[in-house]
Amino acid sequence: MTNGFVRRYIFSTDHKIIGIQYILTGLIMAIVGAWLAVLIRLQLGWPEHQWVFLSRLLPKGMPSGVMTPEFYLAVVTMHGTIMVFFFISYVLVSGFGNYLVPLQVGARDMAFPFLNMLSYWIALLSAVVMVLSFFVEGGAAAAGWTAYPPLSAVASAVPGSQMGQTLWILSMALFIASFTMSGLNIVATVFSTRAPGLSMMRLPLTVWSFFIASILGLLAFPPLTAGAVMLLFDRHFGTSFFLPSGLVVAGKLLPNTGGSPLLWQHLFWFLGHPEVYVLILPALGIAFDILPAFTRKPVFGYRISVWCLVAVGCLSMIVWGHHMFVSGMSPFTGEYFSLVTLTITVPMTIFGVNMLASLWGAKLELRTPMLFALSVIAMFGSGGFGGLFLGNATADMQLHDTYFVVGHFHMMIGGVTLLATFAAIYFWFPKMFGRTMNETLGRLHFWFTFGPFFVIFFMQHFLGLQGAPRRYYAFTAFDYLRDTRGQNLAISIAALLLVSGQLLFLVNFVWSLFGGLAAKANPWQATTLEWTTASPPPHGNFETQPVVERWAYEYGVQTTDGDFAVQTVPARNVPVTA
Amino acid sequence: MNMVMDSRSLAASQPGAVSLREDQLRLGLWMFLATVTMLFAAFVSAYIVRRSGTDWRQVQLPAMLWVNTLILAVSSVALEAASRSGFRLRWRQAELAMGAALAGGLGFLAGQFVAWREMMAAGIYLPTSPHASFFFVITGAHALHVVAALAVLTWGAVATRSGATDVPAWAARMELCRTFWHYLGAVWLVLFALVSLY
Ligand code: HEM
Ligand SMILES: [Cu+2]
Repeated sequence: MTNGFVRRYIFSTDHKIIGIQYILTGLIMAIVGAWLAVLIRLQLGWPEHQWVFLSRLLPKGMPSGVMTPEFYLAVVTMHGTIMVFFFISYVLVSGFGNYLVPLQVGARDMAFPFLNMLSYWIALLSAVVMVLSFFVEGGAAAAGWTAYPPLSAVASAVPGSQMGQTLWILSMALFIASFTMSGLNIVATVFSTRAPGLSMMRLPLTVWSFFIASILGLLAFPPLTAGAVMLLFDRHFGTSFFLPSGLVVAGKLLPNTGGSPLLWQHLFWFLGHPEVYVLILPALGIAFDILPAFTRKPVFGYRISVWCLVAVGCLSMIVWGHHMFVSGMSPFTGEYFSLVTLTITVPMTIFGVNMLASLWGAKLELRTPMLFALSVIAMFGSGGFGGLFLGNATADMQLHDTYFVVGHFHMMIGGVTLLATFAAIYFWFPKMFGRTMNETLGRLHFWFTFGPFFVIFFMQHFLGLQGAPRRYYAFTAFDYLRDTRGQNLAISIAALLLVSGQLLFLVNFVWSLFGGLAAKANPWQATTLEWTTASPPPHGNFETQPVVERWAYEYGVQTTDGDFAVQTVPARNVPVTA
Repeated sequence: MNMVMDSRSLAASQPGAVSLREDQLRLGLWMFLATVTMLFAAFVSAYIVRRSGTDWRQVQLPAMLWVNTLILAVSSVALEAASRSGFRLRWRQAELAMGAALAGGLGFLAGQFVAWREMMAAGIYLPTSPHASFFFVITGAHALHVVAALAVLTWGAVATRSGATDVPAWAARMELCRTFWHYLGAVWLVLFALVSLY
């Protein structure tokens, strides 16, 4: 019996279980990441305050209750790394990707179930290695989530660049291996296991977004692997790939010659930029698909939206240099990167406008998933607006490495993805667990999330405009930033509010798992294939092979079920739109 | 020629489970090769960028590399021969050729190892010059992929030994083996040209 339990829920090859494993792992990592964010905000909101209880918890990082600058760097680094790679990537991309793609294409499972299981266990190992790196000599990596050398390449540069940085690199290598396996699986599944009648142009946009995000991941991650190998060799085997001549660290001249720190920046951002789209595309796809269930009308511009995703995917591979405008690149190169970066905002904007247009003339049902999906549009618009300034090389010279950037990327890679993750959890929870989440708690959670989140990162844009640099441990020593004390305090209070608001979610999640009302097969009266099977779906997903007759957005029609037609309803019952 | 048609059409005549699996594996392999291509593309472009550094010094590469290249080429030819013999249902020949292909792969790895040792004996180590650093890292990364491919070749060889019993499955495996193996051969040619000419 225990054996059966282990096979079914622990070492399972069922994509639904693996998806849920990813989601739970990612949520636990999110708690770690949020806790780190709290530490950052305590330091920035109340610099020099002695947090006595924290000194007991973190005797090394916060002796006497004030954080050391070195520990601050490690905390910022790990917060970014964990949120980007171990929270959003796991929950949104691997978690929901695994759970939804086979169901929405009408397949019994992923194309390679065993590879899928392997990918989860490597992912878990990678997360464990990353968290353990806090406890080694010198503490966790402290060179930023971008791990720029020389800081990341020289052990004596900062305590975190000892063992912590090595573990960081190893953990990232495991992450990439696992993410590649899971991306390969998603692409193969979409290509080869679609139900009869489900042409590519009938796929829900969610599947499209996972599909493109996976291809991006497959092509963009390997170069970072190459970079990580070279960084490892620079750190441990005396090579000079990234280490320049004449470098003096801790009073000692290093023997390295001729290496190029900028080479790392290119390799990193060649991954880094596509990676942000790997995260945001599924967020947008999911929000796009949740909208029609609550407007009860077909989406606007499905085909154009698909092509927007494709265009964004292609363009995202060639814009990485916009992270490096101040690296001394030639003005012509800068001009090129500005141009392509501003080009990418065109398909992105079309996509956003399509989402808005999908709302046109509809009576909105403001249930929890819908609130989150709507806020995705708002956050996406606001964050994207900041991006317009940053994409312009001339403006970016001023704004680079200020809080303007921090505000911008949190709205996008933090906000849009976070809100979409919650939208997805509230929307598919009934399918996953056969139970319904509490609506009142859900709406309360929405306001405690969207409100503070928007305030925090909106304000950070203005901190940046006042010249506040990012990654600084404290601003107390700068006259020109004296006036920002109050703003930082306000941001910190909002951040604490945001984090406490997440308790509402945790309570709702755990309580609903065990005590939520039983969910029907199709509680939202939605049209995609996962709603045609039981909640939760049986092993193998469908009793009989579904046959698809139409696109995924047949709302506002008359059937025996109501005002919608699921994708399997034949044309003789309801005319086919697409 | 007739025989070839026979076993090919035999492979095609069993739709359903086998051919779907075949499609998926082929697709999976090609995607995997795309990621490997990106990996080596990154190494190559890093090489080109780093080469403009003032401290770049070309080191003497061992002549052994030519021998290794030859071994790898022979191994690829043997793999082709194995596949052709199998399609003609000459299993004994196919087995021998598979053995030769595998031996070639192992020989290549051993040869690379010898080449590295020769360089170190000549006083050229990882940090000696950026050219040496890149040489060791790039050839090492390639060798690791060869190890993975040898595992796949072994899987193909096992199928060849019992090939007569299930031709479609054998043919599917052989296709994967050939794609992977010839691909790594081609990558080697590119890398070898890069480190020795540029
Ligand atoms: C709980 C809500 C969050 C709060 C209060 C928060 C707060 C912060 C703060 C204060 C920083 C440090 C800025 C600096 O000094 O450089 C930061 C950095 C960062 N955060 Fe967040 N964050 C949150 C959620 C997220 C999420 C969900 C993500 C990603 C999906 C994310 C990704 C990042 C990244 C990539 C960095 C940059 C790290 C670096 O440059 O070293 N954050 N965040
Ligand atoms: Cu970017």
